[in-house]
Amino acid sequence: MSLSDLVLSIADNKQMLGLRYAEWATRAPSLEADIAAAAMGLDDLGHSRVLYGCLEPLGADPRTTERESNAASIRNLPYFDEPWTEWSQFVAANAILDTAFTTMIEACVGGSVEVLQTRLRKMLMEERYHFLHGRSWLRSGIEKAPLERAWREAIEWFGPPDGETAALHTEGKLGMGPAELRARLEEQLETRAPKVEVDWSTWDPIRRRGKRGAVDAHTFGMLRGLEEKKYAPPAAKPTPL
Amino acid sequence: MSKDGYKRVSGDAIEYEVFARKTREEPLRQVGSVVAPDTDLAMAYARATYDEERWCEMAIVRKDDVIRLWQPGEA
Repeated sequence: MSLSDLVLSIADNKQMLGLRYAEWATRAPSLEADIAAAAMGLDDLGHSRVLYGCLEPLGADPRTTERESNAASIRNLPYFDEPWTEWSQFVAANAILDTAFTTMIEACVGGSVEVLQTRLRKMLMEERYHFLHGRSWLRSGIEKAPLERAWREAIEWFGPPDGETAALHTEGKLGMGPAELRARLEEQLETRAPKVEVDWSTWDPIRRRGKRGAVDAHTFGMLRGLEEKKYAPPAAKPTPL
Repeated sequence: MSKDGYKRVSGDAIEYEVFARKTREEPLRQVGSVVAPDTDLAMAYARATYDEERWCEMAIVRKDDVIRLWQPGEA
C-alpha cells in the first residue's frame, strides 16, 4: 500500500459519504438538518474531487479500468455499501467516520508531502462545521448499534498498529500513525472508543476493510453515470434540410 | 407565538439570528435565522443555509439575547 492508495481510499470514502449525506437532504428531522445534509454532501463530493486530483502529482494513480465494472474495486467502507435507513446511521457516520477522515487529512497536512500539505488544508476549515453538526446530534443521543459500527470501521480504517500506515508515519509522510489517529479522534469527540477486536489477518490493506462486499448496484450505476444516461433524452435526429 | 397558536421554536430549540458581511468595509447585516437546540448545531446550520455568498465574516446571536429598545408600533 502506498500513500496514493491511502489518498484514493479517503477520496472514495468521501465520495460515498457525500452521496449518502445527499440522500438525506429531504429526509432529515428538520428543514435546517435537510439543508445541512445537502451542504455537507456537496462539501464531501467536492473534497473527493480535490483528493482524486492529488493522485497524479503523487506519481502513481492506483485507479484501474476495473473501477468501471467491479463495484468491489471502489475503496469504500462497508458502512457505505447500502443506503442508510435510520437517522442514527447518518449521525454516527457524521460524528465518527467524517471526523475520522478529517483526522487522516490532518495527518496528510501534517506530513512531509507538499501537494497534500497545500491542497488539503482548506478542507479542514470546511470540515469544522461537519464536526459541530455531528457532535451536537451525537450529544442528543442515538442508538448504540450504528455508533459501535462506525467506531469499529473507523479504527479498522486507520489500519493495524504495525502496518503500512504506521510506516508512512515513521517516514514522515503522515503526521500521525494509527495510534495517534485513534487518540486524536477520541480527543475530538471527547469520548473513548468502545473496545474493538480487529482480526487484521483478514483485513484488506487496499480497501482498508475486513468485511467483504461492495457498494449497492444502484449507487454503483450512479457513480458510473449509468443512471444519468437512463434519463437522458434519445439522441437528437438530424434536422432535415 | 402567532394568533393561531403556532410557534416556530418547539421543545428545547433556540432561535438564532444570522449576521454576515462580504467586505471589511461594510457593516454586518442580518441575513436570516436558524433554529437549533445548541450553539454548535446553530453554527453548522447557519453556515450550511447561508453559504451561497462569499462572506468574509459570519456571526450568530441568540434571538433572546438581543436587547430591543423599541419595536414596531412602539416608537
